Amino acid sequence: MEDDLILKKASEARRKQLASMWRVFKSNRVAYTSLYVLVGILLLVVVSFVYTPYNPYEFNLGRARQPPSPQHLLGTDELGRDILSRLMVGGRYTIGISFISVLLGSLIGSILGLVSGFFGGHVDTVIQRVVDVALAFPTTLLAIALMVSLGPGVLSLIMAISISTFPVYTRLVRGVVLQVINEDYIAAVKLLGRSSWYIIFKHVLPNVISPIIVQTSYYLGFSILLASALGFLGLGIPPPTPEWGSMVSTGRVYLFSSPHIVVFPGLFITVTALSFNLIGDGLRDALDPKSRMFLRRF
Amino acid sequence: MTLVRYLVRRVWHSIPTLIGALLFIFILVRVLPGDPARLIAGPEALEEDVQRIREQLGLDRPLHVQFIDYVSTILRGDFGRSIKFGTPVINEILFRLPYTIVLALVAEVIAVAVALPLGILSALRPNSKVSYITSIISLVGASTPSFWIALILIYVFSVSLKLLPSSGAESPRHIVLPAITLSLVLMGNLTRITRSSVIEALSSNHVLTAVAKGLKDRVVIMRHVLKNALIPIVTIMGLQVGNLLGGAIITETVFAWPGIGSLLIDAIFFRDYILIQGIILFMVLVFIVINIVVDVVYAYIDPRIRDILWRMT
Amino acid sequence: MEKVLEVVDLRVYYEIPQGTVKAVDGVDLEVFKGEILGVAGESGSGKSTLALTIAGLLRPPAKVVSGKVLFKGVDILKLGNDELRSVRGRRIGIIFQDPVTYLNPIYTVGFQVGEVFEAHRGGKVGKYFSEVINLFKAVRIGDPERRVYSYPHQLSGGMKQRVLISIAIAEKPELIVADEPTSALDVTIQAEIVELLNEIRKELNTSIVFITHDLALLLEIADRIAVMYAGKLVEVGRADEMYKDPLHPYTKALISTLRYERKRRPTPIKGSIPSLINPPPGCRFHPRCPYAISKCSQVDPKLSSVGGRLVSCLLVGGSNG
Repeated sequence: MEDDLILKKASEARRKQLASMWRVFKSNRVAYTSLYVLVGILLLVVVSFVYTPYNPYEFNLGRARQPPSPQHLLGTDELGRDILSRLMVGGRYTIGISFISVLLGSLIGSILGLVSGFFGGHVDTVIQRVVDVALAFPTTLLAIALMVSLGPGVLSLIMAISISTFPVYTRLVRGVVLQVINEDYIAAVKLLGRSSWYIIFKHVLPNVISPIIVQTSYYLGFSILLASALGFLGLGIPPPTPEWGSMVSTGRVYLFSSPHIVVFPGLFITVTALSFNLIGDGLRDALDPKSRMFLRRF
Repeated sequence: MTLVRYLVRRVWHSIPTLIGALLFIFILVRVLPGDPARLIAGPEALEEDVQRIREQLGLDRPLHVQFIDYVSTILRGDFGRSIKFGTPVINEILFRLPYTIVLALVAEVIAVAVALPLGILSALRPNSKVSYITSIISLVGASTPSFWIALILIYVFSVSLKLLPSSGAESPRHIVLPAITLSLVLMGNLTRITRSSVIEALSSNHVLTAVAKGLKDRVVIMRHVLKNALIPIVTIMGLQVGNLLGGAIITETVFAWPGIGSLLIDAIFFRDYILIQGIILFMVLVFIVINIVVDVVYAYIDPRIRDILWRMT
Repeated sequence: MEKVLEVVDLRVYYEIPQGTVKAVDGVDLEVFKGEILGVAGESGSGKSTLALTIAGLLRPPAKVVSGKVLFKGVDILKLGNDELRSVRGRRIGIIFQDPVTYLNPIYTVGFQVGEVFEAHRGGKVGKYFSEVINLFKAVRIGDPERRVYSYPHQLSGGMKQRVLISIAIAEKPELIVADEPTSALDVTIQAEIVELLNEIRKELNTSIVFITHDLALLLEIADRIAVMYAGKLVEVGRADEMYKDPLHPYTKALISTLRYERKRRPTPIKGSIPSLINPPPGCRFHPRCPYAISKCSQVDPKLSSVGGRLVSCLLVGGSNG
């Protein structure tokens, strides 16, 4: 009875904490604006399922390589396709794949980290070794190697990026788990007869959630860059799919005459990644009280 | 003396990781679509020729035998022969390695020369113009795709202004654009890390003690803030150089810079699996070695770690 | 008796997103030569801010809103950077609470102590090593000739604290501010350090402002005690007199928690420390005070003299409220 009351007060306190964190995040105008920008881009992508100004796959050589105009807001590419429409649809791939991959990576990584930290022993050793091997590769190299092996395609891309991102989460979560279970109060909780699941949810999760969120936001930005880089190298999704990176690649030949074909996809990539990064900064400031308060300056 | 022991320990502990990486690369290539024997033989070859090649390469033996064989050849330094060129893979790599090294070093030097002062200044003077510029640079570096920066630089400097060459490596001028491209990404990260490291050092308690002694501000900053902040920064710099192996791939490809990064992409294009395998393995090896070196250097710099090691061994 | 330090109506506030923290809200203090003045208060009473202000080490976002800190007649709050630097470490020393974080891990302790000499006498730190060894002997750090070359993490907590003490006394300052110098140490080491400080006081005839939450400690070592609550002083007087006859309700409650031999257990003071952003109206202690009357929530009592003691309570002394 009594500890239920304590729990209720704790969750109330947590709700207030969340509200104040949101306030701090909002006060960071750059991060807050990025949120709007990101939502705007996502809106464009979502709209693409229902409407695009033109058919992104239909080409019209007569209207090829036209600079931005009232009819084609961002111009046309080397095959006469409307760039804006292609970007809208391409966003489904570039952003969608990034989202799914990072989510998958964070899920797998976190679960592995939990298992590794909790069970210890051989399980821990095996998982740690796997993580070590994954981290022995520079991230981009790992993604490229995986794409070479798995072949082009949406599924391969998702797998490649997930595999490239999960190790960091495993290390992160495992670290927190080890820290938490070594605390004295856990022994007390265990004595009270609470199950391991309880410990996980009430004690480990709150501690691990903020670093995971911050890391995910940064990884989302990173995976946009990674996915488009793979697309650029021709290792991602094969044409004619308008993945943003591959759009830059195919437009490269006409860099001199029609730079807009290269500029606009790259711009979209940059702005999206930038928004994720800025939001990540904002989240980090909002979730980690230490980094804000008393900065001793000279 | 204990440093050497630490080094040995680190190397010892990397061996399972290395074997794991070898296994991973091995599986990677075996999972590949396509039959390597047929690829080597060519599409018109007869089945018996393909079978002969298969036997020659040992591709018909059970997998674990192949793996052990693979590991032992690697240990002898034999990375196999390129399918496309017929020459030993290791030769191809070593021939192009210097180009990558030069590019990486120049890019890192540029990045450090810009990022360190900016990062330090922006930490010491927050809300100033310097701080603002630093934020912009670090954001641009961290969010802009390197292939896009490369193309924009090419457009401005090669195509429009016709100032700098955009591909190849014949003259010193050829390194300018690729190095700048590569360094921008590095700069992005480095500025951010430098700034946060200095800010963290600034708010340490021991800085207050230093001020309380009556030391001049400059002395306090140099001795008690910067030197402390430099330790994690130098570590990151070292790791960055290792990571350059991955990042340089894109830059080298765009600028047709003849390093091992573009060699990898070429190999992928040619479906030269032996070459691909060899390059990836080489890059991983270098990465692991660099990580070990950085660890040892860090242990050397930080007296606390030095003593922990002393007690461990 | 010669006055070494005089604090006049000091107010130190700092701005945080949630509001203005009034850490020190109208404090008057005197410190005489050669005495140990104890400043007692719970965490959140503003005593650390007071310590930093007296030592001239205040940093943004903290700001001195009004008041003076007169060190030997000179208001150190108005000193320029260079003058302040010559005071720090040489005429006013400070001992911090946590020896682990207040020492730089990448330099030897000998170097860090030698820096005090370098700051005020010039030259390179190296040439002061023999003086540092002497200092170590004075603060009773064993094997000083070797210890000067040790790094902080190689020393125990007690030894690290002695290093901090030697930093504070190196140039024989006239005033030492000790901000919870024993709170991070074991009880047995605490006693040694307190002894050491007493000796130092006698040897150098220096004044010590000893800040702590441990009233019992102060009753042992301090000549006079100032009790601080929620940014203000509530009682100031001689230590032995305060122990025998505490006047302010807060002091009474604190003393009673020390004297619980007769009862089963000490009775805690009900309630909790007030927020320094929104302190209670009137007397800040009134929500927790067993003697509070309605006037206590309206009028904020001033420190006034009651037979050799300074007390701020409406119910004590005639001329109050």
